[in-house]
Amino acid sequence: MQEVVGCESSVSRGNMFLVIRCCLLLCFACVGCSGSKSIEPAPPSELTASAEERKEPLPVTEPQPLDPFDVPKLSDLDKEANWIDRPVRDGLILLREAQSEEKVLGSVGSAISTSNNSPESNNLILSALGRLPEDGEADYSARIDRHVGGDLGSTNPIMISTSAEFDILGLTGFGLFSFGRDLEPFATSETVKIWQTSTDRMFDKVVLRDDLVWSDGQPITAHDIAFTFKVIMDPRVPVPAVRSGTDQLRWVEAYDDHTLVFFHKEALATNVWNINFPVLPKHIYEKTWEADPTLKDSAEHVQLEQSPVCGGPYEIVERKRGQQIVLRRRKNWSSVQGKQVRERPYFEEVRFRIIEDPNTTLLALKKGEIHEMILQPEQWTTQTVGRDFYERNTKATAPEWVSFHFGWNIETIFFRDRRVRRAMSYAFDHDEMLEDLCYSLYDPCTGIFYPGAWMASTKNLEPYKQDLDKAEALLDEAGWIDRDNDGVRDKEIDGRTVPFEFSIIVNQQPLRIAICTLLKENLDQIGIRLNVRPVESTVLQDLTLNRKFQAYLGGWGSGTDPDTSENLWKTGAMRNFCNYSNPEVDRLYAEGRQEFDRGKRAEKYGRIQEILYDDQPYTWLYWRNSFYGFSKDVRGYVFSPRGPYHYSPGFGSLWKPKQE
Amino acid sequence: MTLVVITLMVYGLARSMPGNPLTVQLGESDPSRKLNPEDQQRMLEIYGLDKPWPVGYVQWISKVIQGDLGRSITRKQPVTQLIGERIGPTVLISGTALFLTWFLAIPLGLYASARGGRIDERFTGLVLYALYSFPTFVAALFLQIIFAVWLRDTHWELPLFGMSDLSSDAPFFARCRDIAWHAILPITCQTYVVLAYNSRFIKANLEEVVRQDFIRTARAKGAGPWRVLVHHAFRNTLIPLVTLLGLSLPALVGGSVIIEQIFTWPGMGRLFFESIRERDYPTIMGLTLMFSVLTLAGQLLADLLYSIVDPRVNVE
Repeated sequence: MQEVVGCESSVSRGNMFLVIRCCLLLCFACVGCSGSKSIEPAPPSELTASAEERKEPLPVTEPQPLDPFDVPKLSDLDKEANWIDRPVRDGLILLREAQSEEKVLGSVGSAISTSNNSPESNNLILSALGRLPEDGEADYSARIDRHVGGDLGSTNPIMISTSAEFDILGLTGFGLFSFGRDLEPFATSETVKIWQTSTDRMFDKVVLRDDLVWSDGQPITAHDIAFTFKVIMDPRVPVPAVRSGTDQLRWVEAYDDHTLVFFHKEALATNVWNINFPVLPKHIYEKTWEADPTLKDSAEHVQLEQSPVCGGPYEIVERKRGQQIVLRRRKNWSSVQGKQVRERPYFEEVRFRIIEDPNTTLLALKKGEIHEMILQPEQWTTQTVGRDFYERNTKATAPEWVSFHFGWNIETIFFRDRRVRRAMSYAFDHDEMLEDLCYSLYDPCTGIFYPGAWMASTKNLEPYKQDLDKAEALLDEAGWIDRDNDGVRDKEIDGRTVPFEFSIIVNQQPLRIAICTLLKENLDQIGIRLNVRPVESTVLQDLTLNRKFQAYLGGWGSGTDPDTSENLWKTGAMRNFCNYSNPEVDRLYAEGRQEFDRGKRAEKYGRIQEILYDDQPYTWLYWRNSFYGFSKDVRGYVFSPRGPYHYSPGFGSLWKPKQE
Repeated sequence: MTLVVITLMVYGLARSMPGNPLTVQLGESDPSRKLNPEDQQRMLEIYGLDKPWPVGYVQWISKVIQGDLGRSITRKQPVTQLIGERIGPTVLISGTALFLTWFLAIPLGLYASARGGRIDERFTGLVLYALYSFPTFVAALFLQIIFAVWLRDTHWELPLFGMSDLSSDAPFFARCRDIAWHAILPITCQTYVVLAYNSRFIKANLEEVVRQDFIRTARAKGAGPWRVLVHHAFRNTLIPLVTLLGLSLPALVGGSVIIEQIFTWPGMGRLFFESIRERDYPTIMGLTLMFSVLTLAGQLLADLLYSIVDPRVNVE
């Protein structure tokens, strides 16, 4: 909202001069660009010694087409592999079993009439309204209106990259694998009969069910999956996100309509995540792929964007760009040739309403035009407490593995010394941030893994508390002292006195700006000058990706496996914005990937967390919870570390009761 | 030539902004959805963004000469198709708002001038100034709360957001009615600020004209006050009005970022704003070209209209 408001002041007032307006908008963005120069790390002669080396671009290798692969016979593979059976599960059944052992904290009536203003009421709502339906309780003809914050770029399963696209793909896409609330992977029994892995972990064999069809009635076979692998790996195809991981596979071979083998390049504990990619219908795309490898330019691909052939439980029946996407439950998903082969999804129709403005979204929830939405912390605290909200809705919260931090660019002279980074963490008033700025909604964060998660350190890593004496002592020790008595600490570098004055870049969101402003006030007290520079989100991403900053405020969601965080900490990794480098951390990540014993893996990742806690390349701030508003008609929401939807069954567990 | 200079400047500025169309994807908060440097490079090559921007501009303008505005990088659609989808909803709002603005602003301006200094005129002026300074995003929120929430389930209820609740296979007239119903609040928001500005503009111009000698002459000849105001004074304020009208032509299709954002109206303002945020260069350039052409066309139209409203001006 802030970004838009800022824009309106420069846009709508200039309605008469649209060309000038467009130049102005672009100029503002360019000011961000030129302005950024002032916050780049200074040249090596002045402030840094190793910045020159970092100017080399990240290593880039040309993506190569797939090399030919000598596919072994299945019979030879069966002899050689010593297959180990892997779990084939149904996420809904797993949840039903888990709930049968949980104690229900109250009745549905009491939960619906409760205002969520305490942990107890929140637990009651989650327990009573989060349950799956008993037989005959669910209304299978119901429709749910979900909120989505932006339009889809693409409906092609392999071309997606945004959260909205992943949300819709979760309902319309065909997949073999998933993971539960505990983020443990399994093959989904809705599509897979058998999943086996070779003893040496170099092959995965999957046998598909024989009752799977695309929305156009054509059978889904192993050939679709092998074909999709080839399309994803075609360097001419502009696949944005799903190529990552898939490129770690050496080959995918369909031995018959149902038997499929994934050949890995290396034996890794993370291979299970690499075989989980979206699938295209071969009978559609084999005719069009070669003629138009962009998968978007030809008339056929334009038409497929509007009405894709779907392999999941829902199909897209209407797409009004910028307004809504309507999905309808596929009859031939749950029943084939008149026989019920799978559980029906609870909703007949799912309508994704595109609303970008958060105030309008909340009004739509209050009015009953949508049935669920993510609430902003201030909406949770102040705008969803009255009768106007509780008349039709309720709300729930749960921990989510999303953390926020200040990142310190270690290449700058300011933050190369670990003592200075620790001084920053001691200088910041964490309590004021958590209590005053975040309304006590968030828990403090001490590192990269959520406390209690299997990969988290078992040591008690105490959250940093403000201690200005300690911060000053650390700065004195690191040589940052106010030599010229101007109130600002400084240091002699290459014969020049460098004052401790730096900038922090931050997205233009009020809470984040307020946190940086608090840091500025705190640092003022110990003789450090901080300039807070709010920038547009794309500019922030560009500056951090190119390491053109001194400090920034940012956040990360958690991947499904701790190995996904290697991208943040390995020396030279793409998202290692702070230029952190520690050979022990690099080694531990490599070993963690090659270790198959869960306990031993956990030790390695726990050790990484402890090292990072000591080194403080980030000052970790808080874990951001999930906050959701739900219509009182909706039941079955169960939260995972990735929110209520992004796991199995996720959205599949939501339902509406039959009307009396 | 003007068009080439404008598009060259905008293309250079757009390509000089930090980031590119892939930056947003790279910023996804889930580290498991990372785009490798190799993939990033491959994608930049596919989109032709690995070359310097002057080369990119030449490629773009060569295609434009052949009638091809290119394809949106983030939306995977031809830019002409994107504009075609969005222009209708925008013109519906802007066109209606423009018509209402002029339809109401001229009588209001005349009225204010005729009743200048009196209590009713002062009150009208106060209301118009208040409307002019009232931010549209606040007004939109109030209107939504009043008409969509408080007046829910009454005859006065109006839709909260969107352009239509009916499916695309609904009867034509039912859909037209539904769209008109959805358009009421956005049109109201788009109208009131410009109405306030234009009516005060007309009043100010009239007040300057009525002090001139020929008005005194007209009065001396015995013409009535309304006849003097409409036939003698107002006709002489048409030149600045025509200039204003000409300049509002691009605004007709430009849309408003804020109004379209709040009411989830699928118009050009949102498209332009999103394409800048996403660094979707083909869409930015397609829209810039269209706005530039319309600005020039608006100027030409105004020049032609001068000769109609003022006989002293000759087209030649």
